[in-house]
Amino acid sequence: MKALTIAARELRAYFVSPLAYVVLTVWLLWTGATFYYFCTWFASNPSGSETYTPLTMFFSGNMLLFLPMLVFVPVLTMRLLAEEAHSGTLEQLLTVPVSDTAIVLGKYLAAMVMWCTLWVPTLVYVLITTSYGTIDPGTIVSSYVGLLGIGLYYMAIGLLMSALASTQVVAAVLTFLFLGMLFLLGIGQFIFPGPPAEVLAYLSVWGHMTDFAKGIVDTRYLVYDASLTALALFFAVQAIDVRRDG
Amino acid sequence: MIEVHGLTKRYGSRLAVQDVSFRVERGEVVGFLGPNGAGKTTTLRMVTGFLRPTAGEVRIDGFDTAASPMQARRRVGYMPEGVPAYPEMRVTEYLRYRARLKGAPRRQLEDAVERVLDQAHVDDAADRIIGQLSKGYRQRVGLADALLTDPPILVLDEPSSGLDPNQNRDMRELVRGFAGDKTVFLSTHILPEVEATCDRIVIIQGGRKVGEGTPASLRSGGGRRIVRLVGPGQVRAFRVALQGASGVRGVISGEQGDDAASVRVEVDAGDAALDAIFDAVVAAGLRLRELVVEQTSLEEVFAHLTTTEASDAEGPGEAPEERPA
Repeated sequence: MKALTIAARELRAYFVSPLAYVVLTVWLLWTGATFYYFCTWFASNPSGSETYTPLTMFFSGNMLLFLPMLVFVPVLTMRLLAEEAHSGTLEQLLTVPVSDTAIVLGKYLAAMVMWCTLWVPTLVYVLITTSYGTIDPGTIVSSYVGLLGIGLYYMAIGLLMSALASTQVVAAVLTFLFLGMLFLLGIGQFIFPGPPAEVLAYLSVWGHMTDFAKGIVDTRYLVYDASLTALALFFAVQAIDVRRDG
Repeated sequence: MIEVHGLTKRYGSRLAVQDVSFRVERGEVVGFLGPNGAGKTTTLRMVTGFLRPTAGEVRIDGFDTAASPMQARRRVGYMPEGVPAYPEMRVTEYLRYRARLKGAPRRQLEDAVERVLDQAHVDDAADRIIGQLSKGYRQRVGLADALLTDPPILVLDEPSSGLDPNQNRDMRELVRGFAGDKTVFLSTHILPEVEATCDRIVIIQGGRKVGEGTPASLRSGGGRRIVRLVGPGQVRAFRVALQGASGVRGVISGEQGDDAASVRVEVDAGDAALDAIFDAVVAAGLRLRELVVEQTSLEEVFAHLTTTEASDAEGPGEAPEERPA
């Protein structure tokens, strides 16, 4: 209940700040351009397949989506706790009868709503694609499930870094470095042959989204998403507790 | 009721607060006095549960802040120093948010906000954006926040900082009004404020408690009094005469008049010292025209406790403004 109060305040602060509109505008311009690029490519190279469409391209194997995410996630999550610590409002938050867990969950809930606001507008692309061709509805659902799974742990890591850092900038840099490292490890699936490639594919947003965009819901990925999320949130609660030592 | 026992806070090698113990009874208004950097804010932060003590314990109405943090926090209204608040929010919006966090029942939310807006005299700024408020208003928004859910205990860090004289008087009257009803613990370095509002004072210096008592007992006591004596003769003669007299701690100052000397002497409390002075003066063949026990101001007590004793004690030295890293 109190987590909801915290989430509501966080979202309100986000949406009254210019940051939200800058982020959303840039994101929409970017994804729009990306989608347009895939549409024109498919217009000149028709595939005729229901599972291989501009939409699957958009949601899966393309750097155009993954690289900006490494920047947008830190920008969305950097304020969550670092700003409270920096401005001193954390003192008032930590002296009311609200548990550290509720604080973290509230902030996380707000972060997940922010993540979803990035993807809701892409439903327009789904609408456009389906009105000009037939698409397997299963792949659409699984694509969004895949994005939600990635969002779960991306935002959790961003929140953890914001809990650890004392300023927003440090939080953003730490998140970028950490997610960048995970991303590079994922790229490893194309570099190292044999068993390492399999493990690395499991860590990779690339492999993750390629499967989900094709309609393959691999629960191993979801287990990975969920465990990384739980771990990051657990450490975020610990990070708040450590702040009480001054 | 607030019970603090053996409270200690260590930052690395620096002891910000060292073995501080005191009690604030229900209905009492207690001032927490000390120079800047003495450890006031650090102590308040431990009392309110924001900081974890390195050693010692804090009990709020019997609830240990470490073992039962939620019960303890529910009983405390805290106004932190500088009153940080979300600058983008409007005053009522902020107070509603805070009331929800503190667990005010939904139906009483509006009433609670109305009440504290009125109590803290911020009703005229209710719809303004916090980021645009003057320091005095922000301070009172902080007080309004502390009063939400009508907690039995109030902890106020420098409540009068940034207030103009009128607002200051309002704040004092408000705090005085809580006496007998709420337990109030407030920090300050403004002495008239303490005299006007507090039943009792705890004085801290260099992280250690150096004094405690009512304003009157501190003024008269600390086991120390200043006596002024006037008599015909030389200041030097009086100095010599008083040397070694029992109960006399030393001559503070001497002033040579045309035919008389005026000497200020620090003595032990109690009338025995006065008799000893008289005897010593007579024994030296001098005479007295005046022997007056000076009314010590709280300011002198404060200066005495926070300078001399602290330098005697092995304090942690110059403590920078306490802020967690």
